[in-house]
Amino acid sequence: MLTLSPAARKSANLIYHFAQRESKARYKRSLLGWFWSFANPLTTVAVYSFVFGVVYRATPPATENGNAENFGLFLFTGLISWSLFVGIINGCMGWLQGVSDLRKKIYFPTETALLGGAASNAVQTSLEALVLVVIMVVLSNISWTVLFLFVALILTMAFGLGIGFIAAIMNARYRDILYLVGVLLNVGFFLVPIVYPLSLVPDEKWGLPVRTLVEWNPPALFVGIARDGVYFLQVPSLSRLAAATAWAGVTFTIGWVYFRARSMEISEEP
Amino acid sequence: MTVGQITVRDVSKRFRLERNRPSSLKEALLRARRRRDVDDFWVLRGIDFDIEPGSFFGLIGHNGSGKSTLLRLMANIHRPTMGEISTEGRMSALLELGSGFHPDLTGRENVYLNGAMLGLSRRHMHEAMDEIIEFSGIGEFIDEPVKIYSSGMYVRLGFAVSVNVDPEILLVDEVIAVGDEEFQLRCMDHMNQLRDKGCTIVLVSHNAALMESLCDTVAWLDHGRVLEIGEPTPVLRKYLDHMRGGGDTTLTTRD
Repeated sequence: MLTLSPAARKSANLIYHFAQRESKARYKRSLLGWFWSFANPLTTVAVYSFVFGVVYRATPPATENGNAENFGLFLFTGLISWSLFVGIINGCMGWLQGVSDLRKKIYFPTETALLGGAASNAVQTSLEALVLVVIMVVLSNISWTVLFLFVALILTMAFGLGIGFIAAIMNARYRDILYLVGVLLNVGFFLVPIVYPLSLVPDEKWGLPVRTLVEWNPPALFVGIARDGVYFLQVPSLSRLAAATAWAGVTFTIGWVYFRARSMEISEEP
Repeated sequence: MTVGQITVRDVSKRFRLERNRPSSLKEALLRARRRRDVDDFWVLRGIDFDIEPGSFFGLIGHNGSGKSTLLRLMANIHRPTMGEISTEGRMSALLELGSGFHPDLTGRENVYLNGAMLGLSRRHMHEAMDEIIEFSGIGEFIDEPVKIYSSGMYVRLGFAVSVNVDPEILLVDEVIAVGDEEFQLRCMDHMNQLRDKGCTIVLVSHNAALMESLCDTVAWLDHGRVLEIGEPTPVLRKYLDHMRGGGDTTLTTRD
């Protein structure tokens, strides 16, 4: 902290403030507060296990030692990364809108509101990830590769922020962006192998290499890395890691540059 | 640049008024090929001056002369369309009612948020808190959301924060007119104290008598240009002459 420049310290201070505010607001006026952070993922696993495991009798892909072959857990590993992605993009638009009136009256670096909100989401997601890891420990399906779950989440966050930065600026001008993004993300959910394993996707259909397209779709890469680490207990392939890192790095950089170039105009939007 | 200095170099500011501005993506796409109705409105043109560290600088002019916009540019809320404004030092700005307050947060939370925006640590704000509550006279309302505050409370808390964060530059836009007599006197007193500490103060006001008693330099803005700048008495005299259509003017002077 001592080596930070005054401007960086100011930004860090503001990010902390916005993160704290977002976290407080999340369970404001709720009796059980943070309990919900654990209740949500647990019920998700239970419900998905029932619907896909019991009703549809779907067979989940085999895990290393066969201890955790549960469709609910398979789904949940994918869902963690995806919901972080969706939460950050939708959040970015809301967070910028939330501070735009304030920004018309006082100067502060607007990106701190987005980064703070994202940090709060990251804490929330870490709790969900912790629940997952605990379940895996109980089922003794655990290895050091669990670290890749967190690698996947960090990459997801960078990628989501890159898109979120752009969406937030565009949404300040045209409020349809919020709805458009909502529709695209709904479609995206089914294009990413979360509710189905990649192995069910045909290699080719309508002359398109469908499986390759699904597999190399960036959110699918993040989901894949998370699953490799915490479900299959294997080290993700180098090409998958490289592609995911490249997508995350490039998208974040483009979003950041775009946001920085346009964020001064926020105070002039009517 | 020395701390407390403000330089305004050939600054112009244009606001774009788009009539029939597309408010949705659909409209924007449908009208993409049609020419947009854009009205360019130059609020400031070629403003160029320096404000010396530690000086008390006044901006006067009638409504719409651009003085508030100039103050907002100094506060870095907008970016000049042309030219450059640079400021050196910790800057605190009181631009309008409740400037920099988030309506849903309590007074106390807003004080911390304001401090963070000025680059002050939580601990610093914690230490200044009692003094801020004392100065503003907000009392127990400090823990209520500021949206329930009266306009007087807004201003008092805003001013209390601004002056208690140890600013090196203070920008004030006539808001002090809202408080009661007693509070106004305290504000004057505090601004004088800040000035004695070497803080640069920029004040926007219509009140010529007030400006004359406080300022070292006054600039008279009219239609986005500086008409006169210099010692308060002659500039204000010309301003008042102009306002009264050239009639006889008497100023309350401080000698």
